[in-house]
Amino acid sequence: MELQDTYYNKSEYVETASGNKVSRQTVLCGSQNIVLHGKVIVQSDAIIRGDLANVKTGRFCIISKGSVLRPPFKKFSKGVAFFPLQMGDHVFVGENTVVNAAVVGSYVYIGKNVVIGRRCVLKDCCMIEDNSVLPAETVVPSFARYSGSPARLITSLPEATPDLMTEFTKSYYQHFLPTATV
Amino acid sequence: MSHNIKILPGATVCEDCTLEGDITIGGGTVIHPRVTIIAEGGPIIIAEYCIIEEYSTIIHKKSDKQENPPKALFIGAHNVFEVGCRLESIFGHIGEYNIFECRSFVGADVRIGSGCVVGAACCLTAQQTLADNTVIWGSQHHIREALEKQPSQLLQLDFLSKVMPNYHRLRKPNVHKRQPSRQSTEPAK
Repeated sequence: MELQDTYYNKSEYVETASGNKVSRQTVLCGSQNIVLHGKVIVQSDAIIRGDLANVKTGRFCIISKGSVLRPPFKKFSKGVAFFPLQMGDHVFVGENTVVNAAVVGSYVYIGKNVVIGRRCVLKDCCMIEDNSVLPAETVVPSFARYSGSPARLITSLPEATPDLMTEFTKSYYQHFLPTATV
Repeated sequence: MSHNIKILPGATVCEDCTLEGDITIGGGTVIHPRVTIIAEGGPIIIAEYCIIEEYSTIIHKKSDKQENPPKALFIGAHNVFEVGCRLESIFGHIGEYNIFECRSFVGADVRIGSGCVVGAACCLTAQQTLADNTVIWGSQHHIREALEKQPSQLLQLDFLSKVMPNYHRLRKPNVHKRQPSRQSTEPAK
């Protein structure tokens, strides 16, 4: 199935040389600590907290409206530390989702209104359904599909998931077009 | 709308947040960007050492049976409001050491004691009173009692108040003397 074209206002988005499309309505705190590896879309009102620790994303990631990426913290006997947040390639993050994970693998689909607890590890090729809540420090294995609050394993994903996610994020990027300027 | 925002020294309040009405923010409290605090039904007083994260909303609602002069909404010390939580309250008092997790919702008719945890994405709308140390979690809204008080977030606060000024524009404290009258009488109720 071909994706519908999504249009955006050209003046609202900044396109970088590596093909990242970042809305001007986002809050990128500590932008020197944020690495977007190219062809990443960050939509309006998303927040990326680079001020707390480094945030790295791979290629073809989609950060939807109103989502928050914030590095997780851990308490030690002497003070707290914020851990860097790493994200692989071809990751989709749905609207109004909060990602507190330590690592998000590649080919991961995270739905809308999801809460990913502190220091979760999402391995490659997994899926978190809409409105799920992943408790802190959960490890989601590859090819797992989690749902509910607290999220549990419901089914497994097909072996073709990497290809499907690659296809999905690439075509999302290709169909994310500026409104035709006259 | 009258803007009467008092920020006590030691508080870290980002500029990129919406504060409306009569709000007092205690020393040591950290308010992240994109926070909304609206005091339409009366003043809001936030005590020391609270953390209020992105997209949290605290509203002191207008109500019909409002007393005159309006009662203040007092939020105790060491409360944590995580990303995207929403607190609507007309009651005067919220205890200490509570945690409102990500995307939780606490409606107007809920009274909250101390040491409570409202789990991620939990939604409390019915009229109820949370006793001290209540923990609510999951989609079924399971309730249990915590065995011990929630640990304080002083270490995290320390870190945040050190790091945030490097990256954010902050609102400057505008009250330089402690106001003993209001702050000390409120929690006694």
